[in-house]
Amino acid sequence: MDVQRLQESFARMAMHGDAVPLFFYSDLFLRHPETRDLFPVSMAAQRDRLVHALGRIVSDVEHVDALGGYLQDLGREHRKFGAIAEYYPHVGTSLVATVAQFNGPAWTPELAADWKAAYDLIAQVMTGAAAEDAAARPAFWEATVVAHELRRFDLATFRVATTEPLHYLPGQSVSMESSERPRIWRLYSPANVPRDDLTMDFHVRMIDGGTLSMVLTRGLAVGARLRIGSPVGTLTYEPGTGRDVLLVAGSTGLAPLKAITEQISGLPDPPRVHLLFGARTADGLYDLTDLEKMAARHPWLTVIPVVSDEPGYPGERGMLHEVLARSGDWRGHDVYASGPTPMVEATVTQLMALGVPRGQIHLEDFGWSEP
Amino acid sequence: MTVSSRNGRLTPDQVQSISFPPARFGRRGLDEETVYSFCDQVQHELMTLLNEKASLWEEVERLRRRIIDSGDPTGARPEDAHIQAVRILSNAQQMADKYVADAQDYSRQLTQDARRQRDEVLAEAKKHAGRVLDEAHSRASRAADVMASEPGSVAGGEWRDRTAELAYLRTFSEVYRTHLRAYLETLLNNVEDWEQSEQASLAAARAELPFPFPSGTQGQSPPPAPGPTSYSSPPPGSSPYSTPPPPAPSYSSPPSYSSPPSSSPPPSSSPASSSSPSPARLP
Repeated sequence: MDVQRLQESFARMAMHGDAVPLFFYSDLFLRHPETRDLFPVSMAAQRDRLVHALGRIVSDVEHVDALGGYLQDLGREHRKFGAIAEYYPHVGTSLVATVAQFNGPAWTPELAADWKAAYDLIAQVMTGAAAEDAAARPAFWEATVVAHELRRFDLATFRVATTEPLHYLPGQSVSMESSERPRIWRLYSPANVPRDDLTMDFHVRMIDGGTLSMVLTRGLAVGARLRIGSPVGTLTYEPGTGRDVLLVAGSTGLAPLKAITEQISGLPDPPRVHLLFGARTADGLYDLTDLEKMAARHPWLTVIPVVSDEPGYPGERGMLHEVLARSGDWRGHDVYASGPTPMVEATVTQLMALGVPRGQIHLEDFGWSEP
Repeated sequence: MTVSSRNGRLTPDQVQSISFPPARFGRRGLDEETVYSFCDQVQHELMTLLNEKASLWEEVERLRRRIIDSGDPTGARPEDAHIQAVRILSNAQQMADKYVADAQDYSRQLTQDARRQRDEVLAEAKKHAGRVLDEAHSRASRAADVMASEPGSVAGGEWRDRTAELAYLRTFSEVYRTHLRAYLETLLNNVEDWEQSEQASLAAARAELPFPFPSGTQGQSPPPAPGPTSYSSPPPGSSPYSTPPPPAPSYSSPPSYSSPPSSSPPPSSSPASSSSPSPARLP
């Protein structure tokens, strides 16, 4: 396989922008109409994802080792979309047809062979990982909503029960699909440690115009069915460091940190835990009552609510990173932060300026699996 | 803000010379809506250009192939038929994407508006409640003073105090109730206005529903009527190829980090009311 030749042909194709994935999917759906059902109505986001994934694979195609993990994740994650092994050759055919189409006169039999070889390699890694995964767990878990509470007009918590046990680490996330919005998967964090009764709690804030969040906040009733994907994410508690713990939660970023708090409460000798819970206004501190109950039960837990945009608020006021700078010396702490990206970034910058080693700061890193 | 030249297209000059107004008082940076609306416009223009480019390119390819296959320049080969089918399906998909994006934009704008209005209404209500309380208090105090200093009152000190207190409470509750009633009536009127305008906009939106097929193929559907109200046309931000929905909303943001704080103090349903008693929850 001539890597440079392959990459050049990809570059020639990539110049055509959105027309490329558009051609690819239309070609695939025409040749194999049954594959259309794997995708949502709107394909706009899907096309971006395809281009992004292809670009990543092609630019790294000579280091298959480095790509291995990525491709295996990709293969495993595609199980929940209904991608089965027999679809992989279909995708390969359409991919080669697409590269041919956009390479015009530059297309040669040698290039065709390169692409086919490269795709077969990719498909092999992906289907291999998928098959291995299938032996261990279902493609997705069926779940039923057993409780739903609208805490504010745009903030809800709900509890689901799965039919099969779903093993995750507190702090991890799972992707979720509602039959109301087929083929739209989004990541959410269970706010509890795994339970014997197979229930999980989720916290959702409605994004204006958000496809799934709108359904989950305002369109869910008890009895509604959801599908839940395999757990992902690395924001998990690292026990046994001997250090105390600082949790920094912005809005519904609280969910994974609440699960971690619950996990710590089960330890024989829990460390001291400070939980900073921030929102724009006091009514955004949707779970404070429960957190305060936890704090009352556990002397090692201190909950500090923080409000940024409400001048009359009697408690801590300011952005989370400002408050944590003036509320203690965190250098000897393990820090776990979760929330909107700008908040998390500001928190990390602040903590490092305060002398907390980067290695003690734990964040979410979804890697590729951001849906 | 919609920047446009005579033919409605965005030009490089316009992009270079664009200036954004500063944000409303109390907010940082530039006026967000204007910036986003301009970004939508740029995105729309880019998509148009890319699509034009793609179809031109396809045309070039078609012509090129025709020359290569000039043995039979008129006969369409099966390959061409497939490419044509791909093009038709691609167009249909793009149309579907546009409808979904438009619907999403519409819903985003509605929610944003509703959120803003809610914040404003709550802030206004809080201010109003504060004013009402102050007024009730000062009038009731006056009433109590009058009662306490009533000449000719033969009663003892305690009785007088009680009477003054009673006068205070009576006046306070009277003033408060009057204001509350007036305020609730205003709110009710607002809700009615709102309902009416929503009905009108829904009707307009329905009339404006996309009409995907050339007339004739769907005889029973009415043609799209020009909408009568300002709600009828898609808002400037509703670019057909607008950005995909925000990824992974799992940890949704308190807006404070993503946008400057709003100029009016946001409402509180918090224990902040310890300084001003419960009527702060009036709304």
